[in-house]
Amino acid sequence: MLDSSPVSVVEALRGDRSKRPLIDIASASGLRSLLEDGIFAIIGAKTLDTPLVVRTSSLHQRFTTTDLGMSTPGRIRGVLIGQLLRLLSVGMSIDHPFDDALTAWRGDVGVNELTEHLDALDDDERARLATDLEAHFVTLTRALGEIPARWTPRSSVRIFQRLAGGNVVLRDVVDLMIGTSTSDVASIALFDVTTSPLGEGAERSMRFHALMHTLRTSLMPLRTSTFSSATGESWIRDVDYELLTRSVEDVLGCIRDQWSTR
Amino acid sequence: MTLLHRRLVKAELNDLVATAPAVFVQLTDEHRASLSSRFRAVSVPGHRRLEAWGVERAGRSGSTFRWSPSTARRVLGNASLRRMASQPASVRDAVRDELGDQMLRATSGYSRSGSLSHWLASAPHPVIGLVTAEAVNWATQLQEISQWLEGPWEVPASDAYYDVAAARTTLRARRDLVIRSQETRTIVRVRSGSPGKSAGPGLRADLTIEALADHEGVAPVRYIGLWPEAGVCLSVDGTMTDLRSGARDLVRTAVAQRRHSALKAA
Repeated sequence: MLDSSPVSVVEALRGDRSKRPLIDIASASGLRSLLEDGIFAIIGAKTLDTPLVVRTSSLHQRFTTTDLGMSTPGRIRGVLIGQLLRLLSVGMSIDHPFDDALTAWRGDVGVNELTEHLDALDDDERARLATDLEAHFVTLTRALGEIPARWTPRSSVRIFQRLAGGNVVLRDVVDLMIGTSTSDVASIALFDVTTSPLGEGAERSMRFHALMHTLRTSLMPLRTSTFSSATGESWIRDVDYELLTRSVEDVLGCIRDQWSTR
Repeated sequence: MTLLHRRLVKAELNDLVATAPAVFVQLTDEHRASLSSRFRAVSVPGHRRLEAWGVERAGRSGSTFRWSPSTARRVLGNASLRRMASQPASVRDAVRDELGDQMLRATSGYSRSGSLSHWLASAPHPVIGLVTAEAVNWATQLQEISQWLEGPWEVPASDAYYDVAAARTTLRARRDLVIRSQETRTIVRVRSGSPGKSAGPGLRADLTIEALADHEGVAPVRYIGLWPEAGVCLSVDGTMTDLRSGARDLVRTAVAQRRHSALKAA
């Protein structure tokens, strides 16, 4: 009984279809204006040689001095759990989480700094990472449940926004997106998975994903969520204009910090 | 030049399709002969292949091509959407069927070494899972775009290819959706990432190649480039000025490519 939750995270994200609001296509331009005006107030009319880049990790780093999730082993674990989520999203059976995630990752990126770090681990460290990942994977699968194909799940969705004539670049990757943008009612739900316990940074990430999706498609998503595979805890928020304006403030704060250190 | 820049939303996309020029431009045998002579003047030892990406990178070659989940997604995603147009199915099922067909081709000996089928047949199970995830992403995105379109559309069976006579040059234009209305056609091309400063010349190169690949030389009335990750779209019209400009860019790219190869060899 403890093993199965009555409602999976994905079902909770979808919610009751009859209670969904009509799709909001008006807010995106207002948010863009808020961002453009805010950036102009910080940078002015200068043209920068290299743009200021804001991503989810920038928002985390702003308030956190030490985040275990940002350490190299933490990053590897995060990447591997992300790969497993991608496999789950298309209904793949996973028998050996660590080996399967690693094979998928290598097949995708080839060699990089993180794969080299992983290769340098000794047998004990590698076994520890594998066990750790397996525990995270079990927590994730129990909470996630099956993702039906009719909910059009997409994984690792990249978003890129250029603002202030290219002076600022916003980058984001949403771990899982379900729902469609062709419906008359809001239907898109965003799901983020982290291998760290949930904190203030996770809330900022949730808001940032919602903001980025709104800027990219000009359609406000229905919900945004974050799930911790470390604790099994999930936070789900309905997206509204207030949540998005808070994210605009987060982004402007991050830009202000980066600008002040230049 | 007729470059337009819009946000990628349903209304703007349909507006770009609806406001495309009503009259098409046609390339003649003289145009083809003229292009061929220019490419012949930029001879290379082997066979060369040019496409919009090369134009955007000013002839610089990137890293060697290898199959990966991200390089396989477009081929599989487009084929899956084409499959869904004839047999209604979920995106995931259509991608799986397409993958199954590709692998069957390899096991029955109909694929050559280096082909997608060949690579998929030897890929481990988790990589196939990742290929499925990437192809599902691509097909879902393209399906949403096609559902936005108010007119009839089709997924072309392949990209547009044109062999330049006696110049050992093949030109390739990417195309993902074709919207036909009576005598004219509008092409939609989808790209990852965000458009750079040379995205316009890239679109014009695709426009020119598409016109050359048409057996009667009929140019599409508009070529629309979509960058869904950035939420923007650009378009160029099939005017003679744009076609000429596209052809010039392709020849310039061939010159730059030859220069880069010579520097590399030195």
